[in-house]
Amino acid sequence: MRYVGAMRTPITPAVPGLVPGLVPGLVLGLAVGLLGAGLAGAAEKAFPFDVQEKVLANGLRIYAVPCDSPGIVSYYTVVRTGSRQEIEPGRSGFAHFFEHMMFRGTPTWSEEAYNTALKRIGADSNAWTWRDQTVYHITTTAQALPLLVELEADRFQHLEYTEADFQKESRAVLGEYNKSAADPSLLLEETLVDTAFTTHTYKHTTIGFLKDVEAMPGLFAYSRTFFERWYRPENVVVIAAGDLDPAALFAEAEKRYGGWARGSATPPIPAEPPQTEERRKALTWPSPTLPQVVMGFKVPAFSTTERDPAALEVLAAVVFAERAPLYRKLVLEDQTVDALSADTAQYVDPFLFTITAKVKDAANLGAVEAAIHAELARVAAEGVDEETLAEVKQRARYGFAASLATAEGVASKAAWFVSLTGRIESINAWQDQIAAVTVADLKRVAGQYFVPAAGRTVITIVPEVK
Amino acid sequence: MRRNLLFCLASSAVMAALAGCGAAPARDEVTATAGPRFVVQTAPQNPLVAVRLVFEVGAIDDPAGKEGLAALTGALIGEAGSKARTYAELLDALYPMAAGINVQVDRELTTLSGTVHRDNLDAYVDLLLDQVLTPRFDPADFSRLRDRATDALTKTLRSEDDEALGKEALELALYGGHPYGHPVVGTAAGLAAVTLDDVRAFHARHFTQARLVVGLGGGVPADLEARLRERLAALPAAGEPRAPLPATPALAGQHLLLVDKPGRSTAISIGHPLPITRAHPDFIPLFLAASYLGEHRTFNGVLMQNMRGKRGLNYGDYAYVEAFVQDGWSTLPLPNILRRQQRFEIWVRPVPADKAGFALRQALYETSRLLRDGIPEAGFEETRDYLLAFSRLWTQDADRRVGYAVDAALAGTDLAAELQARLPSLTRDEVNRVIRQYLSTDDLVAVLAGPDAAATQAKLLSGEPTPLVYDTEGTPADILAEDKVIEAWPLKLAPERIRVVPAATIFDR
Repeated sequence: MRYVGAMRTPITPAVPGLVPGLVPGLVLGLAVGLLGAGLAGAAEKAFPFDVQEKVLANGLRIYAVPCDSPGIVSYYTVVRTGSRQEIEPGRSGFAHFFEHMMFRGTPTWSEEAYNTALKRIGADSNAWTWRDQTVYHITTTAQALPLLVELEADRFQHLEYTEADFQKESRAVLGEYNKSAADPSLLLEETLVDTAFTTHTYKHTTIGFLKDVEAMPGLFAYSRTFFERWYRPENVVVIAAGDLDPAALFAEAEKRYGGWARGSATPPIPAEPPQTEERRKALTWPSPTLPQVVMGFKVPAFSTTERDPAALEVLAAVVFAERAPLYRKLVLEDQTVDALSADTAQYVDPFLFTITAKVKDAANLGAVEAAIHAELARVAAEGVDEETLAEVKQRARYGFAASLATAEGVASKAAWFVSLTGRIESINAWQDQIAAVTVADLKRVAGQYFVPAAGRTVITIVPEVK
Repeated sequence: MRRNLLFCLASSAVMAALAGCGAAPARDEVTATAGPRFVVQTAPQNPLVAVRLVFEVGAIDDPAGKEGLAALTGALIGEAGSKARTYAELLDALYPMAAGINVQVDRELTTLSGTVHRDNLDAYVDLLLDQVLTPRFDPADFSRLRDRATDALTKTLRSEDDEALGKEALELALYGGHPYGHPVVGTAAGLAAVTLDDVRAFHARHFTQARLVVGLGGGVPADLEARLRERLAALPAAGEPRAPLPATPALAGQHLLLVDKPGRSTAISIGHPLPITRAHPDFIPLFLAASYLGEHRTFNGVLMQNMRGKRGLNYGDYAYVEAFVQDGWSTLPLPNILRRQQRFEIWVRPVPADKAGFALRQALYETSRLLRDGIPEAGFEETRDYLLAFSRLWTQDADRRVGYAVDAALAGTDLAAELQARLPSLTRDEVNRVIRQYLSTDDLVAVLAGPDAAATQAKLLSGEPTPLVYDTEGTPADILAEDKVIEAWPLKLAPERIRVVPAATIFDR
């Protein structure tokens, strides 16, 4: 789970995967994103809070998660729309751009008044967009919660901006693109998804194709369509965590969000036809950079009822963690690889299990790629020992618990799962699936998804100059 | 909060112990008896324990010609083997704990830290101390980590991260010839020259009890400090004396450093040295002024509002009065980046290359307005309210909380506590006085990292306007009128104060 673009900052992490080192800055340098249901048969849930839920008549779902965070609350608004919903040609990057526009004011709270209100309460406020979701978040003092409800309910219903503001903000988005453009990772990701997908909107990145970002100033009318279509109560979930009274929150929410009208449009997302062959592209980069090979394997959508997504999550840890044999050989012993990582796929529709290796010498790209394939084939044939599997689950359990240490941590974790499924219960259901993964599951998914006939896309990049 | 606390306590043994509900510390003590200094913050109900070993050693201790030695030593302590186990064995041992050893080397401090569930605390502490007390100094680890550092310098920094390049070049421009004047990761020549014997000797001389502050936070058991004291007694009591920092190089006039590299855009960093740090009484009003001008990663600051918001120049524009490194994805500063000499800094995130001249001028224009007009009353009050509330968010988790407490012990002042104590009675006049006293647009360095350095140099040196050409419509008349002023905002450049350095060779030595 690597995040990409975002509004005011290069975003919060979404839910990190199991493999260490994928999410820079994670406090513990540890992985979360899954959790066993406790050791020794303990029946306690991984997400142990006394969650309260209210669904308004218009379909808006609100979760209150009291937890011990004295004087502090985190308020998350999850819009279950991301770059996946960018269905029209030329609209790549629009969900993220629209996230920016959500800070441009309403008739009641102008942009300046909104910013001043947040400033006076010392709010830590931001938003981020990814393939399936756009998430707005504020952490501040607990007594400000009623004001947060008022401000957020207002802008989600009554957003209003001028075309001039729209155009200016589009150039902040271009600036966001530009700040990342010197890093070949952006080109690699763009090429990977553009090659792996022919039809589905996962074909483009969340930040969007450069040509579409550059053309954004001309899309003012479309922005109103986008807002009317997707910013509707039945497509939004509010999560508040920390030092709060659920009953008071729900009463305030009823008052402020109750008049929000349901939407009606549900444009279909185009389905991706099966990929049954390997697709491969070789890129070059004009500046010095480490050669890289990035591989994407088609895998199923996120699910808490099917076993394979959880098994793939565990497989990522078994094969690509720093303590795993492959890392040990390539990075520590041979020292042909500078960095090795894997991203699992937690998405609403089938996406890619992605493996990235930065190698020191382009001459070794082929050998490194072969070593990765061989290790996956070995796990498919031999499995792993039970002790390794148990340790992966133990790490996940401790890691997940540590991620819940603050109100912000609790709310952000909930927001990720809610954005995928609409329900906070999916957190524990997911952890239960992880806990149930067996060695046989690992052998099966390693053998099923990591062969060319299951859809494999390989992108390499080498510097034009050393 | 009683109800919530009861909820946490009522959870079953396994998950109650695991579910970390962040709670305020019940005890906050600083001790300085013989041996390492300890900063202990105990929150008994917190199942997580944060451990920070902060050594007063950093890139300022790099010998001339061995730049990068301190960072490499830090890495060989925390990301390599110990006498007791290889690095692979360390990774194996840490894995089920969901813990790691974070290594952070800065100009003056080296921090080895981690947070672990108290179930695993004893084993974790043993692992961490083995690393610090008896590093393995394995040649294979050395080779791996030196390669990584070299690639981070010669590929990532020079080529792939324009914002970091601009900031690092600002350090070079401000502090050339001073111990702050080279990248922490090292120089190309310095890294090539460092040997494993250098690392061994550096460790023995600098990683001493006298230079160590231990921070413990969260659910710290009663005996942990004593256990750590006992084992850390194996470190040398003292070694190389900590040398006083030379004075910050004097800066007169406007200087320009152009870092020439291909690309779509230009990253801009601007700064000048400050004669004070957070330990000075004037720092709090100066901190407020910087927040008003450009609070990090918010729309609070006038730079952000006017450059991004009104003109769409880029993604963000911020101002600082001390070295600031963002902590991961948060908006908060990393703890233990404390320095004894500080700077005023403006960070203009990449702008399209043809708009770099205008962006530079606007950053100076906005700062000049602050100098000329002072902070307006409303801006003063809003910023004061913001800092009073926001600073309460700084210490939500045990690791960051104890990290800042170590900074407070080292600096002799607790910034968050000072803000709470001073802001309510601070006056606008005090803020305006320190703005005029400490900030300048006449004596500074501006770094532009981007394409076409020669053309940029000629354009800026010519004194000709650098107009902003919009590719968007509807710019209000008052903004267009102000643009006319900004595009011709006088620069006070001179050929002898302009340097052009190719990115491909910057930080060679």
